[in-house]
Amino acid sequence: MKLYVAVCRMLLGASLLVSANVHGGEGGEGFDWLKVVIFAEHQTDYSGVFVYQYDNHVETSRITHVVDGDGENERLESLDGPKREIVRHHGRVLGHHGEELPQVESPQGIGKFPSLLPEQLAALSANYQAKLLGTERIAGYDAQAILFQPRDGLRYTHKIWVHTDSGLLLKAAVLGSKNQLVEQYAFTQLQIGGKIDRSWVRQGVVAGFHGRDFHKQHDTARRGSPTNSGWVADALPAGFAKTMEIQRPMHGNHAPVIQMVYSDGLSAISIFIESDDGDEDDVEGLSSRGAMNLYHKVVGKHLFTVVGEVPPHTVMRVLDSIRHNGQ
Amino acid sequence: MKQEISVLMDGELFEDEVESLLDRLKQDPAARKNWAAYHLIGDVLRQPDHIHCDLSAKVRERMQDEPTVFAPHGRMAKQKMRAFALSAAASLSAIGVVAWMSLQIGPEAAPQLAMQQNAMRPVKAQFQAKSNDYLMAHQEFSPSTDMSGGAYYIRTVSYETEEIQMRNSTGKK
Repeated sequence: MKLYVAVCRMLLGASLLVSANVHGGEGGEGFDWLKVVIFAEHQTDYSGVFVYQYDNHVETSRITHVVDGDGENERLESLDGPKREIVRHHGRVLGHHGEELPQVESPQGIGKFPSLLPEQLAALSANYQAKLLGTERIAGYDAQAILFQPRDGLRYTHKIWVHTDSGLLLKAAVLGSKNQLVEQYAFTQLQIGGKIDRSWVRQGVVAGFHGRDFHKQHDTARRGSPTNSGWVADALPAGFAKTMEIQRPMHGNHAPVIQMVYSDGLSAISIFIESDDGDEDDVEGLSSRGAMNLYHKVVGKHLFTVVGEVPPHTVMRVLDSIRHNGQ
Repeated sequence: MKQEISVLMDGELFEDEVESLLDRLKQDPAARKNWAAYHLIGDVLRQPDHIHCDLSAKVRERMQDEPTVFAPHGRMAKQKMRAFALSAAASLSAIGVVAWMSLQIGPEAAPQLAMQQNAMRPVKAQFQAKSNDYLMAHQEFSPSTDMSGGAYYIRTVSYETEEIQMRNSTGKK
């Protein structure tokens, strides 16, 4: 494992040398670690228990991630409160709330292998300052701590702790403008590699989802399709580049919803546009959970919803700048 | 004493405690200095361009030039003064105390700090059950998912008691 990561870091380091002029070397090593994290996350088998915390809320969950010939399989189970479970296979998502059937499926294609593109790296260093902090022990492993401090007040500070051997993310904290903790995620126990139970990948999942076999289901009508709707938001913070725009089904059988996703490499903002169905719940409102803020508002005949891991004023600002191009 | 002063500036001290603290402030020059320093911090934060050092000396000088009024103090006047002092303290509160605390405490102690702030902060609006659809749809494409695997999907299924009730009453979709 060590050797594998060392080689991986060397390769990434070499590619970074080429693009060193893009981000001027400043905090380059911090962004280098980010690439390692993304790489390791998709390639490593692991199973562990983590704590997720925001406001006065503390919750424990177990996550298991195994890679097989078919791709990545992942299971997230809640250990506190009512039983909830989310299973991802090839980037497709099935949610499981108690006895409820899954509601949302990922339109993402099979074989997705995300990584930071050079232009995203350039945007990252333009908008965040990366600082390598010391090493700390997290869940019994040595971790490198890295701080990503935004250069404007429109995004949060991110602090991550990366396992120095495997490159896995062991802990992540989102901090507000006064360094107050907005949310935190940290492993308390983690097994990396070795013998990890994968019986759930076929049996458990299929049984758990009332016989729905997600390996075979390819109902394209229920998945999203790329679109270009002509909607724009002028007040997106600098460095947020559009990563996709799709039309997707949501809320059961309602008319399709347009989703536009923008990312600055560390956080993303989604804009949802749908026709207003006169639901009384849809009047203007701001809500939040941890680093996630959601703002929705009926404008004319449309319901706009903006969601992202950015401060409340940013989602509000983005929503208020939405307009249809050429109108 | 320092702690009490900061709590006073926060507007969180009970009325009787305020009175006794103000009395002690009158008698203890060191405490008065602290009081002034905390306010200076607040002032610097809000208007860094207009800072005059040792304001208290200048104020004292001016006070000596003021004519002395030989009339009995009405109780009302005293009350008004106190109200004024309190509202002034309150207006400085958040900025002053947070600035002071963040000077003392680095990001490492952030969890504790966050807890304290939560106690003071008004309750945030919680997500409605319907919002989870948006959260889920967003999470698929968030960089945090690439970094932590599905762990951040916990945001979309994180439970709140009211929310579960809502889910059950609205039935299955």
